[in-house]
Amino acid sequence: MADTKSGSGRHSAAGGSGNAVLSPLGQGPANLECKDFQEYLRTRQTPESLEKLYNYPPICLAVFRELPEIARQFIIRILFVDQPVPQAVVTSWGAQRCAKEQAEATSCLTALNVWRVTAIPGGLSAWELSPTFKKSVRQVLLGGGKPWPMTNTLDKDSKPRDIAFLDTYAMSRWRCVLHYMVGTGNRNGTDAEAISPDAVRILLHANLMKRDERDGITITRQGFQFLLLDTRAQVWHFMLQYLDTCEERGISLPECLSMLFQLSFSTLGRDYSSEGMNSQMLTFLQHLREFGLVFQRKRKEGRFYPTRLALNVTSKEAAATASVAMDEEATQDCGYIVVETNYRVYAYTDSPLQVAVLGLFTELLYRFPNLVVGVLTRDSVRQALRGGITAEQIVSYLEQYAHPNMRMVESAIHSKSCLPPTVVDQIKLWELERNRFTYTEGVLYNQFLSHTDFVTLRDYAQSIHMLVWQNERTRTMVVQKNGHDDVKRYWKKYSKSGV
Amino acid sequence: MVNVMKGVLVECDPAMKQFLLHLDEKLALGRKFIIQDLDENHLFISTDIVEVLQARVDDLMDRISFPLHDKDA
Repeated sequence: MADTKSGSGRHSAAGGSGNAVLSPLGQGPANLECKDFQEYLRTRQTPESLEKLYNYPPICLAVFRELPEIARQFIIRILFVDQPVPQAVVTSWGAQRCAKEQAEATSCLTALNVWRVTAIPGGLSAWELSPTFKKSVRQVLLGGGKPWPMTNTLDKDSKPRDIAFLDTYAMSRWRCVLHYMVGTGNRNGTDAEAISPDAVRILLHANLMKRDERDGITITRQGFQFLLLDTRAQVWHFMLQYLDTCEERGISLPECLSMLFQLSFSTLGRDYSSEGMNSQMLTFLQHLREFGLVFQRKRKEGRFYPTRLALNVTSKEAAATASVAMDEEATQDCGYIVVETNYRVYAYTDSPLQVAVLGLFTELLYRFPNLVVGVLTRDSVRQALRGGITAEQIVSYLEQYAHPNMRMVESAIHSKSCLPPTVVDQIKLWELERNRFTYTEGVLYNQFLSHTDFVTLRDYAQSIHMLVWQNERTRTMVVQKNGHDDVKRYWKKYSKSGV
Repeated sequence: MVNVMKGVLVECDPAMKQFLLHLDEKLALGRKFIIQDLDENHLFISTDIVEVLQARVDDLMDRISFPLHDKDA
């Protein structure tokens, strides 16, 4: 007992002084960005391409469902008004205290090109729905238009598939992708299936994996973070990357997106027809089949079943339910990890994938059929931090999968976390170690002849947001490297005018 | 004429700054690398020395960190 305390104390003291390990000057890849659907549309689509997308009613329905509530209200109100509605009228629909939410809804609709400003007789500004969007939303609300191809009539399936089968199938297919990422696919006999070159290409394109001369294809920092997401977020992110590569494989993006949302709105356990699909969509269906979003017994059968992975693919409300249902530890209340105050981690699991994820930030010591024992060490945690995983992610992962017994302790000591406080604090200290230094490549300016010269140049550098440090007394300042040319140009101009 | 020098601005806590000053004074990295001592938390250093400096700081951290878990225990 005394030794343990003493050791912890010394380690905490040691943890207090750290260093930066990450390459300070490299422009490393950004952290994993988990865009929601709105962000995806806003940042990757131009108004012209948005207009094309809005020709597809399923896409418009998905856009509509993802909008803020006030924005949906605006659309419903003006959907059947055939002339533009004055902005003042729309503004008057909300109470003054909701002005902020109203402004957010307005800017959201404008950014997505759902409506735009137009002038009406008399010079007033007015909102007008995009005609394409309006037409498509009316269709999904009232019916009409071309039937969705997958809802064609089907013979009764001679070998129907129930929901349990579809869930097992979906997770099995999706897990192949995840296993490939953590490199357990080749070593584990039962999950030895490889994934297709197409899937590998998507992982490389998404920067979740990269080609390495020595190791072949290895996981990246963003890939680490991807593995720590819940399944629904993983699937959504993966599909966004897939859509990115659509055009270069000769498949129409709007059609893919439309198809994806038709699946999203479908019913679990029901079969659908693939008869009316063109060859591009059939190819898309095969890709979805590989990832586990649809089940199809045979390619030519003309029938498929959407799985749970495809349902509500953009919906945030369904996330909690979907995650619980898909987790293979559902019968254990989702918790299988025990963390002790001596930094030991016990995981009661027989899933190679879960063990591999745990191995990203713990040093694994013992492996039993349904139990793995690891320890959180400075080296193992720092290795994860180096790969781009944050202390916050590690802690939230351990909390998310904490064994029910861990939560009992929580209620007793009224801690906000069910993990031992010493462990949580130490993980964060190890992260702080690495952030001890901040490096900024820059240019130092000093020895100004006059105070006026210094203030003028400093203020200019500040105005272009390139000033990183300055001291007025010593007339010294540091400008970011990429701002140096602008500052130099300004200085030359200033010098000439001064002379 | 204004003096202009390229390099790297380092921001750190005062204790680590003293460590850097020590390395510079003792020529521990083979030569002097601090271009200017700016204030309690900032130094301006040569660009090419950053990676060597990183390695040296890593060594320091490893030496003062106590291995918490002994596998043989």
